[in-house]
Amino acid sequence: MVADPVPVAMGQGSSCWGCFQSLVDIHLNLATVLPLLDIKYWQAVVDYKLSDLEGYPDKSIVVGFFEGMARTAEDIHLLKVMREKCQILIAFGSCSCFGGIPGLANFYDIEECLTTKFRENKTFSGGKVPSENLPAIEPVVRPNTDFVDFDIFLPGCPPTSKLILTAVTALLEGKELELPTHTVCHYCDREKKETPIPEILRPFSGHADPDRCLLEQGYICLGSSTWGLCEGQCVSHGTTCRGCFGPPPPIMSDHGAASMSMLGTYAPNDPEALRIQVPDPLSMFYRFDYATSHLGRMRIKREEAKQH
Amino acid sequence: MTGVKTVRIDPVTRLEGHGSLTIKLGEGGKVKDIQFNVNSTRFFEQFLVGRQMEEAPRIAPRICGICPIPHHLASVKAVEAAWDIKIPPAAVKLRRLLIEAKQLSSHMIHFYALAAPDFVYGPTADPSLRNVAQVLKDLPDVAVQAIKMMEFGQELCRDIGAKAIHPVTAIPGGMLHSLPEDDRQKWLKQIPELLDNLNKTVELAKTVVNAYIDVVTKVAVTPTYYIGLANNGELDIYDGTIRVMDPEGKIVADFEPKDYLQYYGEHIPNHSYATHIYYKPAGYPDGIWRANTLARCNVADKMATPLADAALKEMRELVGRPSHHTFAYHYARIVETVQAVEWIKTLLEDDDIVSTDVKLSDVEPKAGNGVGVVEAPRGILLHNYESDDKGMLTHANLIVATNNNIAGIEKSLMDAAKFILEENGLSQINLPEPMVKH
Repeated sequence: MVADPVPVAMGQGSSCWGCFQSLVDIHLNLATVLPLLDIKYWQAVVDYKLSDLEGYPDKSIVVGFFEGMARTAEDIHLLKVMREKCQILIAFGSCSCFGGIPGLANFYDIEECLTTKFRENKTFSGGKVPSENLPAIEPVVRPNTDFVDFDIFLPGCPPTSKLILTAVTALLEGKELELPTHTVCHYCDREKKETPIPEILRPFSGHADPDRCLLEQGYICLGSSTWGLCEGQCVSHGTTCRGCFGPPPPIMSDHGAASMSMLGTYAPNDPEALRIQVPDPLSMFYRFDYATSHLGRMRIKREEAKQH
Repeated sequence: MTGVKTVRIDPVTRLEGHGSLTIKLGEGGKVKDIQFNVNSTRFFEQFLVGRQMEEAPRIAPRICGICPIPHHLASVKAVEAAWDIKIPPAAVKLRRLLIEAKQLSSHMIHFYALAAPDFVYGPTADPSLRNVAQVLKDLPDVAVQAIKMMEFGQELCRDIGAKAIHPVTAIPGGMLHSLPEDDRQKWLKQIPELLDNLNKTVELAKTVVNAYIDVVTKVAVTPTYYIGLANNGELDIYDGTIRVMDPEGKIVADFEPKDYLQYYGEHIPNHSYATHIYYKPAGYPDGIWRANTLARCNVADKMATPLADAALKEMRELVGRPSHHTFAYHYARIVETVQAVEWIKTLLEDDDIVSTDVKLSDVEPKAGNGVGVVEAPRGILLHNYESDDKGMLTHANLIVATNNNIAGIEKSLMDAAKFILEENGLSQINLPEPMVKH
């Protein structure tokens, strides 16, 4: 094993903390893993400040994990600092890889977002957008990959604790990280009969047959277009997949387009009926990766054009 | 001006979320202002609009990865309130087990991983020591008991919610997954070890509180209003009415969640992307309230379970009711952990917990307006949604746990800063020897 603890840094952009909670959820393995790490920066755990991180020599940190997306100027700054200081930088979780659920904000103009949050809602009116001692909010969510190159992508919302432990162990041992490339369906025990879907159902409808493929029963499930690093945790608990690990390798392919194409194959139905039964395809098929999709890229370009 | 200085602490560490502090000092070292700058926001209230409303419980948990379960449940309750859905009683029990399991793991990560390093190494220790990784090296037995309690909570959440972080099984009408008998038996077998670790934790907490009693009773003693959920007067994190207590200790409001607009005020500060929630009838800043563990223990008459109630009485003997002691939040966290464990045991022993009658088959989306409230570990959490006649979400207002605390945090920081910086407070308090010295 490793003689000296390995210098690591954990950075958090705009995020929910869930990826790091998933790291903590390796439970008693923490007793083995934590002593092998020399934590140089991790605001959730250690009291080092941003100025400490900025002061380390370039590439002096062996591994960096970056959770979250770039919503503010400060997020972008931290992302760049992490890239400068770390030899290996990991896009940790689906926000970091693809923009994640917060990337759905790109469905709306930033002024609409600011109004709902600060100017007018049920509990206040006439508010102003805060501006003192705060980093500027980016007008549109651009994926982290627009700002830095990553060495490793670990998607998932969050990545499972097992996946994190596998990755950390490989890194500490200096080995190549090799991950299976199956989709979620590979891990799903439900039977597929290759029958077409008569009608798309909303997820609360009826009682699903626990032994049949959810999609074939009419419940939209993205299992067949989603990377199965989760090992099917939702589909094994009665629940459809919403695609939180993004598409299988090569992971920057268009997940939403693949998912819609998949649905077209399973549901060769009247387009108008489909349009009514799937009233919100954008968030259904691009929930975790809108910012890195072709459609999302067009949206970003439109916003950028407005800024100039 | 001369002698004017601004101190920035960036980032604030060992907290869930993203923030910095700006402390403005004036002439003669006087503390002029303290800002808690929450420096990001992600606009959930905007991008929930336009979604099928039943998808909100699968989106909203991403607000917080430490408390995704309260968000999942507040969200599904809001949808059910808007669509007039009453779920089967066994589904209520399953959801309660889910949120109590989360309360357990969250309180333990807070107490052991975020707070304990201060007590183990003392508040002035070097950052390289003052963290949970070092606790693991120096006090492995304590660390293992902490990890085991966190593991119990998180893994029980996983069995019920499919994922411990960002659960998926609560749906308008009930739960998509019931708890198999095998799972229940597996958890029942682990209850004795959990109780043992709980007892050790309570003893450790009492030792710490007594060792640091000077800090508890002298630093950041900050009178505010308090808000929390209570069920017929008992502390409850899943269901009940919302109670507000004034700084003198009088219950000044006790209302149904749907009536929140009469009582909740939201102040938009210029220095934080997280807004400040306060008691509207008293105005801002007079009506600043605090939520979270101590607030719940203040507003409740008693705990809902016997051992927790005994623990609450013991706490009140030490700090009174209401307690304005910011450092007593840790003590209250332990009292609540006792209740969570007692609830987990009771629910697992209840045969209804393995019932498969946990989901309605008929749910009709419609135009509606619903409020869902639960207690997140860090305070009361409210989701208010509106839908159109197709069940599409048309409006969202989210009052999340921490926003109930930000103004109170600034007030208590001001009290602490004045005490330490203006009154040389450190010389007036007895700090015990650190538990571990390097």
